[in-house]
Amino acid sequence: MGEMSAVLSGEPIWIEVLSRLHHDVAARYRFVSLPVTVGRAYDNDVVLDDPHVAAHHLRIARGEDGALIAEDLGSLNGLYIDRERARREHVVLDAGHDLRIGATILRVRTATHEVPAEVPVMRGLGFWLPAIACMAGVFALAALDLWLSETGEPKAIRYFTPLLILTAAVFVWTAGWSVVARVFTGRARFGLHFLIVAVGLLAYSVYDMIAEAGAFAWSWTALATTSYVAAWLILGGICFAHLLAINRARRPLKIVLAAILAAAGIAMQTLKQAEYRSTYGQPVTLSRLEPPALRLVAPQREAAFFTDSAALRAKLDKARTEEPDGSEALDDSDDGG
Amino acid sequence: MMAIRFDRIAGCGFAFAFGTAVLTASAQQTQPPPDQPATPQPMSAAAESIYAAVRPGLLQIRTLVEAAGRQSSIGSGFLVSADGLAVTNYHVVSQYALEPKTYRLEYSRPDGSQGALKLLAIDVANDVAIVKLDGESLPHLAFDEAALADKSPRGERLYAMGNPLDLGFTIVEGTYNGFVEKSYNPRVHFTGAINPGMSGGPAVTAAGKVAGINVAKRLDGELVSFLVPAGKAAALLERARTEPPLDLAHTREDIDRQLMVWQAGFYHALGEQGFRAAMLGPYRAPESAAPWFNCWARTNADKTPKPRALLDSTTCSSQSSLFIADDMETGRAELTHAYVRSIDLNPFQFAAFISQYYGTGGMIRSWSRKRLTQPECHEDFVERSESASGPVLRAVWCARAYRDFAGIYDVAITTVTQDRDKEALISRLAMQGVSYDNALTLAQRFVGELAWAK
Repeated sequence: MGEMSAVLSGEPIWIEVLSRLHHDVAARYRFVSLPVTVGRAYDNDVVLDDPHVAAHHLRIARGEDGALIAEDLGSLNGLYIDRERARREHVVLDAGHDLRIGATILRVRTATHEVPAEVPVMRGLGFWLPAIACMAGVFALAALDLWLSETGEPKAIRYFTPLLILTAAVFVWTAGWSVVARVFTGRARFGLHFLIVAVGLLAYSVYDMIAEAGAFAWSWTALATTSYVAAWLILGGICFAHLLAINRARRPLKIVLAAILAAAGIAMQTLKQAEYRSTYGQPVTLSRLEPPALRLVAPQREAAFFTDSAALRAKLDKARTEEPDGSEALDDSDDGG
Repeated sequence: MMAIRFDRIAGCGFAFAFGTAVLTASAQQTQPPPDQPATPQPMSAAAESIYAAVRPGLLQIRTLVEAAGRQSSIGSGFLVSADGLAVTNYHVVSQYALEPKTYRLEYSRPDGSQGALKLLAIDVANDVAIVKLDGESLPHLAFDEAALADKSPRGERLYAMGNPLDLGFTIVEGTYNGFVEKSYNPRVHFTGAINPGMSGGPAVTAAGKVAGINVAKRLDGELVSFLVPAGKAAALLERARTEPPLDLAHTREDIDRQLMVWQAGFYHALGEQGFRAAMLGPYRAPESAAPWFNCWARTNADKTPKPRALLDSTTCSSQSSLFIADDMETGRAELTHAYVRSIDLNPFQFAAFISQYYGTGGMIRSWSRKRLTQPECHEDFVERSESASGPVLRAVWCARAYRDFAGIYDVAITTVTQDRDKEALISRLAMQGVSYDNALTLAQRFVGELAWAK
């Protein structure tokens, strides 16, 4: 009965064997009549070479209601869908799920399966144009920064060396991600990865410039001394974007990975800064002044400045007794008391 | 800028090496023609009899590492009472004074007798210490009355004695040249060769009376040596006789008290002397009117390649350094003004140029983890009080505390004028070993005096 109705329903189906690596279609078979059997034996309609597939592994037929059903014919390794771990005896097929038998992945689609809209062919530069524009911005800002801090004899080499190193680093970084993408998805997408790093660098360049000038303009030293935090956050963002560009799966995991990278970087650099300070006693002050016209805050009154300076005394007195670094001073005062 | 190097003349490993070189060099020097000798006697005969008379009262003072039992530094000293009181330099006994558990003090006398020394009193500002050895009816020296009254005649012949470089007790002829003019802590200028190991030894008159105590010499000159005036030693001796001896468990507190008193006097005197105005371009900058400052100017005008901003600076350093330990000196104040103007730098480049003089903290001595806390800074734009007319300033105040001494700080305030974009005055007042309140008071006065020249 079932077989008759399948024949009568007449709608052809496609069985596609997918590659394990990128889930590309490796082979595609069209069937007008059902049922169809799948297995290693040569009397099947679809013959697979997978040693983990049974001689007669799978039977695809229409149920009484006309739905396509895949049925395990009693194999050793069983029938699964997608990445699930639970073995199925039979599966009602719809276009959204892949079948897994042995080490083979199958997809069953009917002729009415809807395909996504046509993607326009990338003509000319595609991602390259915005990427190059962003990189031009990065270079321009870097060169501007170098020029504005040029106080000695102007030398071209001062500009070329850092810009060349930057170019090489961007190329190596982009190439690295492209290779990873190529391995996992089969598509390198160099242009897209280039765009991601270019946007990230531009964002950092702009932030850094604002932070440097803002630290002076608003008299807020911490803005300049903590710009590494922004650098690591942006790096985390860049890595997340790269991972997403490779494929869209496992988004939460990727967010966590990027967050861990940023957090680890920030923690490391904060620690390093503290360590450096305690080893060399470097004061934390603004390292770069800007032209007076850039000042945006009202100046402190002289008296207020000295009141704030006087307030540091408590901090110093506390540090004097607390910090264990100068062990000798502490040892002796202990003995004295 | 000219660097001035002093060397304290207690002998330790490093000073020895240097001292030997200096000794060799000075041996080739011809002796300068003597000032008209006041004594009709041939000089060698005078020195002979003085040496014979004074020698029994001399000591070599050794600091030994307790664990190893070997000397780590040596100096000299001299007995001043029959019951064993002796005078030396504080810097000869400083290791023992600060770390009595790690070091011990020993003397050896010209007759070969040796023994332990007790440390009774120290005077850090004048670099004097009183020690005591056990004994009775010991040969000892007396202070010269004229020296105690600061009335020694300039050109008087003095004989410095001690044990240089652990070579044996010696006598060195030299002349008294009055007090060092620019030194805040009074020092006698003695023209004669004193060397490492002679620190703490006496410089005696022809009559064998103590006129001063060997303390230091200049490394950039020849025969330029310094003595602590006899009066300072006599005063500390009097204190040691009447007051309870130094409690070695609390040496730091004693030094702390002395530093507090010293800085109160020094910074009060600085304030009293006041400031005089120096005109630098469109600005009026305060320079100390106190006499114990050495000032040096510097310009980059003659540099190659041609500088893109002209910088003319003046640095005035007070001659008031105090020795506390081998790795700790304090007591100096420094005023710096740098007038900078752009030649072909744009305002951003000019700001970057002056940044290199702004963000360093500006302390006089380099930081030491063992001796000082990490510096804390406050920086902002500062507007002048209504009474003063001057430019808005960018100012940074940095301070660090001494771990060994409560209430003593190193402070530096640096200001940059903010009224022009291609011209600026960078000013700095740096103070060592100052109380926080004194630092605030002087800095406030200093900033108050920064103004437009009109």
